[in-house]
Amino acid sequence: MKISFRWLKEFVETDLDARAVADRLTNAGIGVEQITPVVEGLAGVVVGEIEAIERDLGVSATGHHNQLVRVALPERRFSVVCGAPNAAPGVRAAFAPPGARLPGLGEVKAVKIRGLVSEGILCSEKELGISDDHSGLLLLPAEAPLGADLAMYLGLDDWILDIEITPNRPDALSVVGVAREVSAVTGAPFRFPKVQVGEVEPEAAALAALDIQAPDLCPRFCARVIAGLTVKPSPPWLAQRLRAVGLRPINNVVDVTNYIMWELGQPLHAFDLDTLAQHAVVVRRARPGERIKTLDGQERAVGPDTALVCDPDHAVGIGGVMGGADSEVTASTTRVLLEAAYWDPGSIRRTARALGLSTDAAYRFERGGDIEAPPDVLARAAQLMAELGGGTVARGVLDAYPAPRPHRRINLRLSRVDRVVGACPPRADAVRILQALGFAVDDSGDDLQVVVPSFRRDIHEEDDLVEELVRIWGYDQIPLTLAGGGEIVPVKRPPGLRVARVMSRALNAAGLFEAVTWSFLDPDRLKRMGWGDPAALITLQNPSSIERSVLRPSLVPGLLEVLAINANRQMPDARLFEVGNVFSPHRPEDGDRPAHEELRLGIALTGLRAPRAWFTSGRDRVDVYDAKGLAELALHAAGLTDADTRAWPAEQLPAYLEPGRAARLVRGSLELGWFGEVAPGAREVFDLPGPVFVAELSVTALVGLPAPSVKYEPLPRFPAVQRDLAIVVGSEVTAGEVEAAIRAMRLGLLTRITLFDVYTGGQVGAGRRSLAWSLTFQAPDRTLTDAEVNRLHERIVAEIARRFRAEIRGA
Amino acid sequence: MAGDPRVQEVLDRALAEVAGARSTSDLEQVRVRVLGRSGQLTTLLRSLGAIPAAERPRIGEQTNQAKASVEAAIAARLEGLKAEERRLTLQADRPDLTLPGRRPAPGPVHPITRVTEEIIEVFEGLGFSVAEGPEVESDYYNFAALNFPDDHPARDMQDTFHVGPDMLLRTHTSPVQIRTMKAQRPPVRIICLGKVYRRDILDATHSPMFHQVEGLAVDKHITMADLKATLQLFAREMFGPASSVRFRPSFFPFTEPSAEVDVRCFKCGGDGCRFCKDSGWLEILGSGMVHPNVLRNVGYDPEEVTGWAFGMGIDRIALLKYEIDDIRLFFDNDLRFLQQFAGLPGR
Repeated sequence: MKISFRWLKEFVETDLDARAVADRLTNAGIGVEQITPVVEGLAGVVVGEIEAIERDLGVSATGHHNQLVRVALPERRFSVVCGAPNAAPGVRAAFAPPGARLPGLGEVKAVKIRGLVSEGILCSEKELGISDDHSGLLLLPAEAPLGADLAMYLGLDDWILDIEITPNRPDALSVVGVAREVSAVTGAPFRFPKVQVGEVEPEAAALAALDIQAPDLCPRFCARVIAGLTVKPSPPWLAQRLRAVGLRPINNVVDVTNYIMWELGQPLHAFDLDTLAQHAVVVRRARPGERIKTLDGQERAVGPDTALVCDPDHAVGIGGVMGGADSEVTASTTRVLLEAAYWDPGSIRRTARALGLSTDAAYRFERGGDIEAPPDVLARAAQLMAELGGGTVARGVLDAYPAPRPHRRINLRLSRVDRVVGACPPRADAVRILQALGFAVDDSGDDLQVVVPSFRRDIHEEDDLVEELVRIWGYDQIPLTLAGGGEIVPVKRPPGLRVARVMSRALNAAGLFEAVTWSFLDPDRLKRMGWGDPAALITLQNPSSIERSVLRPSLVPGLLEVLAINANRQMPDARLFEVGNVFSPHRPEDGDRPAHEELRLGIALTGLRAPRAWFTSGRDRVDVYDAKGLAELALHAAGLTDADTRAWPAEQLPAYLEPGRAARLVRGSLELGWFGEVAPGAREVFDLPGPVFVAELSVTALVGLPAPSVKYEPLPRFPAVQRDLAIVVGSEVTAGEVEAAIRAMRLGLLTRITLFDVYTGGQVGAGRRSLAWSLTFQAPDRTLTDAEVNRLHERIVAEIARRFRAEIRGA
Repeated sequence: MAGDPRVQEVLDRALAEVAGARSTSDLEQVRVRVLGRSGQLTTLLRSLGAIPAAERPRIGEQTNQAKASVEAAIAARLEGLKAEERRLTLQADRPDLTLPGRRPAPGPVHPITRVTEEIIEVFEGLGFSVAEGPEVESDYYNFAALNFPDDHPARDMQDTFHVGPDMLLRTHTSPVQIRTMKAQRPPVRIICLGKVYRRDILDATHSPMFHQVEGLAVDKHITMADLKATLQLFAREMFGPASSVRFRPSFFPFTEPSAEVDVRCFKCGGDGCRFCKDSGWLEILGSGMVHPNVLRNVGYDPEEVTGWAFGMGIDRIALLKYEIDDIRLFFDNDLRFLQQFAGLPGR
């Protein structure tokens, strides 16, 4: 909110300059974002009068109709070439004589225009730097003193404070509200605007009637009637003040409502009384399907949660949000019904949001108005309106306030201040601060009895007063202490974080890059990847873009996107991992967590296994065994060394994986994750040219496992014996099956099985594969004899030959 | 007493051959020829039987002495030859020690993770446990329990993604505070970490997804003075010993009193630079004393316990710390960007 510093000083007598006041305000929580002069580079511009039009110069090259005019100042006259259409004999206007300075133009000099010397510039608002209006001269009233400094006259020697008011402080959305804060932080006296209204007969009640039918939506509605008005432009000082705070001057009636709202914080609305049927105002709920044409010319549908200001025939405004087009003040208006009301904040907010309307009035009312303000505000506004429009104020206020609200009373213990803050201002300071902020304080007892003014809707309880005291006293008064002596609580980390961290570090050590990708995915890409079940996806109702509108059910799509980004940037080789949550619909075990979330670790690999170097061939590309091995490495880091590889039932294989090139990792019945090669169709979705290998593990599943326990086994004291087992089997036989068969023999002396060679090719024949294991035999209590080992080895050979129709190679 | 000329002859020739050996294998041939099983000296000793008995001891001793001399000469020569051969080998097969090592390079840790771990380390040292909670939340945990009234403009401070009836993406990690307090009695000292979501348009300084860390301390004697000291300490650990903090009153529905916390700009030391927009201060934290309504909502008695809380964006800290000018870089995961964060955290 923009506040003029001069305007502010009308209500608080401070000697501080704008910057010092801004700093104090910021330190009290009224954050001043920016301080800017109203105009920069303006000097020596004065009030001048066009005495005569001396010559018509015709249309210039730039299309202006130029005239040579004579401008009078008290001491001398100037010849000026002027192209403004509103230049006329006898008008007063802003005049920059030679030597004056204008924003953007610098020093004004006498110049030759079409052979004539033009001694200065008659100025538009744009040339003065106060608006973008360049349609004509800034005309000044006849009573503007000739030769007076324009900046002084219009109040241009001013600063604008741009203040950010937090949503709890609607009372500070006004010049007076900010002045009250300035008074509290500086101790300078605060002056509430004087309200004196000259009233004439008849009674307002004889001119208009009020009927509030929805007091829950409109707890208070006040109005005054101003008659005999002439609607015309506002005087320059008022128009300038509005412009300076970012409001657009319209006419004297509307400008008064805006001016007073800015000054006192109470939104006002002026109706043309003679457009209201029976001169009556009814406030009621909107009827189902009801429509109203608002001031901005739009037809709007409103619902029963909305309060409408109506006459007996039809709606004339949306209460607290925007007036109606039908009852708008126009050039022919002479009698105005001026409204000042208090609207239910929740209803205003719902209505404004439903209509997509953000008005200055709704902004204030949804934060909460001051229910006691309307009568005084109306008096001040009516008086000003009558003054500026040449009208009179009818006697009395129409006031519907069926259920007056009591002031909240709060007991404040200074011991509580100390308890919460760790420090407390002296009692006298505390009383002074609260009083300066508008609280009534009874200081006669042990505690302070505080009465909350109606404009502080945010003060509900004792701790709210604690904040009021301390923010004015100054946060810098609070000392620094570290709480000690309390109960010692052991520091813990969530198991998921611990497990994820060891897995991540292992993968980092193996050379993988950690990525962080979006939790949202593109539903179209998921679909094109063959993502099975759209019902299993969680979709954002109000995404910021459709490309990021479903929550990720897997880390893989996000990682593929990263591979694609890098491939597009000439980095075709990448080995990545990410740890993050994936999302699916709520399951019973999730309790009051609205969705199912699982912490996963994803891996994605493509291109070269290692960067090209002098010691590598530079041609080794990642394959599915890298994906598997890195997944196993991560599991190993988490303490799980015995994951089994299981085929995927064909109907369960995710569509984005290649059939026959992906498998699950399990331990017993627990699914740990999977690895595999991305199907070409899914790769195409991301324009990934080369093969891509991925793995995904459930950190959550690992967290559920008991922590690995380590138990020492005595080191072997007797030598081990190695035997190789080399077989040729049909290529449908897997290495895993053979190993499982050997293990199933439960030979106690066989301590290790290591696959060391896999070969397919001419020597073993088509459809066959050679596999070779090194078998280690060892006994804990003796040296094994050759004969013993040979017997065991022969048993194994016989078993494998029988079960897998294996041909045994070598010996 | 003159020696046996045959022995002397063998000895002289052997020593000459040792001296003339060009390589260890030459030398070995000499050794076999002189000292081997059928070598010259061995043969001489064997032939002692043909010598008069009186001369045998003398010639035997002479032969043994000759043998020892040859062995010593061979050993000495061998050492020389080996040194020479090693020298030649080293010369012939000299490694280029400037070649890059066979280095398994560790992959970089994402900058968000790095900063997160630094923050965890500071607060674990102060006795805070890490807490986590769901990213998809209910209105109750994200707003209502945190003293955001229904239909209040305070909700506009955090523009929210909705995913279903009463389901939203958490806009801050504060719901974790509520869940933690509901699950345990005071004292509570936690930091809450994780992804949060706000409906912002993605640009260089805004992201609809970012990361937050929040701290919460609730106990019998917790004051705002403790909050100030804790954050001052944090700032010094995180940004250097010259760092300091400044508290400004502000408004958050879940704290009362509330404060924005500025940290003295660690880039310019407070003189003003582009990072602090010439103000000398970086606005990086929101904080305050836990609102009594929040304590009541979790079943704590505000007369019995008080608490403080703070929150800050991890991404913002990372942007400042590493002088990154575009938040989107975090989520593009360009390898050349990530590669700049080499070395594992904790260093």
